[in-house]
Amino acid sequence: MSFELLSCLLALFVLAGIGTPIGYSILLASLVYLGTAGLDVALAGEKILQGFYKSTILLAVPLFIVAANIMNAGSITDRLLNFCVAAVGRFKGGLGHVNVVASLIFSGMSGSAVADAAGIGKIIIEMMTKDGRYSRGYAAAITAASATIGPIIPPSIPMVLYALVSKASIGSLFLAGILPGLIMGVVLMAMNYYLAGKRNFALEEPVPLRELPAKTANAFPALLMPAILLYGIYGGVTTPTEAAAVAAFYALLLAALFYRALTFRGLYQVFVDSARSSAAVGVVIGGAFILNFIVIQEQIPQSISALLEGSDVSPIVFLILVNLLILALGCVLDATTIILVIVPLFIPTCEALGIDLVHFGVLVVVNSMIGLITPPYGILLFVINAVTDIPLREIISEIWAFLAVLIFALVIMMLMPDLVLWLPRMFGYQG
Amino acid sequence: MKGFLKGFSRLTEAIAGGMLAAIFLIFLLQILLRYFFTPAGWTLELIGILWVWVIFFSCAFIVRERDHVKFDIIYLSVPMRVRQIFAMLAAAAIVVGMLYSFLPTWDYIDWMKIRKTSTVRNPFSGEKIPLRTVFSIYAVFMLVVAARYAWLFFDVMRNGPPKAELELVVGYNVVDDHPRVDGEDDEEADK
Repeated sequence: MSFELLSCLLALFVLAGIGTPIGYSILLASLVYLGTAGLDVALAGEKILQGFYKSTILLAVPLFIVAANIMNAGSITDRLLNFCVAAVGRFKGGLGHVNVVASLIFSGMSGSAVADAAGIGKIIIEMMTKDGRYSRGYAAAITAASATIGPIIPPSIPMVLYALVSKASIGSLFLAGILPGLIMGVVLMAMNYYLAGKRNFALEEPVPLRELPAKTANAFPALLMPAILLYGIYGGVTTPTEAAAVAAFYALLLAALFYRALTFRGLYQVFVDSARSSAAVGVVIGGAFILNFIVIQEQIPQSISALLEGSDVSPIVFLILVNLLILALGCVLDATTIILVIVPLFIPTCEALGIDLVHFGVLVVVNSMIGLITPPYGILLFVINAVTDIPLREIISEIWAFLAVLIFALVIMMLMPDLVLWLPRMFGYQG
Repeated sequence: MKGFLKGFSRLTEAIAGGMLAAIFLIFLLQILLRYFFTPAGWTLELIGILWVWVIFFSCAFIVRERDHVKFDIIYLSVPMRVRQIFAMLAAAAIVVGMLYSFLPTWDYIDWMKIRKTSTVRNPFSGEKIPLRTVFSIYAVFMLVVAARYAWLFFDVMRNGPPKAELELVVGYNVVDDHPRVDGEDDEEADK
């Protein structure tokens, strides 16, 4: 490892460690690298500007953020929830199932786990803890666990970021996420069913079946969103980025004209908030551009490949090792940082070992989402703690069962690439 | 002064939100043109320009300290006094880094005047736009960020460290000793 790289990493760790925004930490650390290596410090700005100017695929990020914000502002979230209560609330562990199903459906729109947890999660936790039917910790834990499904099922911001660093097809990645997302939903519901039986949670008052059609009709236009998105991409009607714009447009039509729940003032706020969120993610992405340059300059992926080739690692062992590493990093880093900064190091090795990049991408995204709920540092735990005031200790003591089944699901996906790649292949993915 | 700051931050919010709305509309226009009229080459390039501007303009003017993606385990676990030092160190590092790299970066941006946009034209003069103009926002970003963190440095020195994002969400209406111009709480994009 060169002296320049060492000083760069040192600067990065120190700056990020004391709480400097990650994007700025990377930028400053790269200046240290360029300075000590005797390169032009303007390279940092150049890589960042050129990176943004050329990568239109990234525009899906702000557009998905706009779509999610419109959903939350325009009461679409509430309507979906009513539909879920009517549909699965009657079964054992009812509201737990509602929680998972709502995440499955809602995830088809927001592409953001934090949006899920803060929006729909807050409402549902209130419903679950009313009258003390579920313990606070349980309600919070299952909400956090089910929110991880959000970014697995398209649309998905982490998948877009992965597509950026790996050059894998975003369309195939989106398709590849659907089945794993459903599997995660199933294992969570199974665990919920088991725990509900064991602890004898009270049953819900079932919503009369004759009300179901009305509630479905009310939510139906919103349920169409993922279908429109996927049809746009796979029907060849739009590019993935354009599809994000269409999704936001559809959400806008629904909220403003169909449900009449979005004012002009609200829409204005949506755009301002979205610009703010996009820019905050943007600096981290910018940091990734310049870091990527350093990684290539230092030939780090080649060194990793050489190291692994020497020790004759099989693809499956490599996958297990990388997944363990990401799982461990997920306890302390957030998903954006892992995908943009850590994952690119392993892409060349994946290619050398013949691991499919779409398969790898799904594993990485699922894994870093699990990281969002792993103690001690899980953003979703914090968000739920912040919006509901349920103590972290109670949430963490209940999270383990759900964490275990999610990791179980991850292992299945890891061992069975054909399962993950089945859907993309149906649509002509060659891999 | 306070009134001016408030008005200024309203204006910058409107500009940032407006640019993002423009990106959204141009995308829709692009689809429309492709299916019903002749596809236009300028849409994608204009979107690219706006995207660069949305990011750096917003970072310079409307992104609040607590909106940033941070690694705050250590920061949250140390006493206030240490936090103060951390926050001042971070702010100082950003100021130094931005100023140190400003002139070389400006050289690069200025040099980009020889390259021009390929399809987008200035609506008034009809001429193609030099990339220097497009990238100039990055220079603005560097200077404004340096100035903001210089201000934050002295603010933290005098008034103690700012609240972390989570503390703000939990108790923002209880203690509000940092009256910053404030929109509604926005959820962070997925991490």
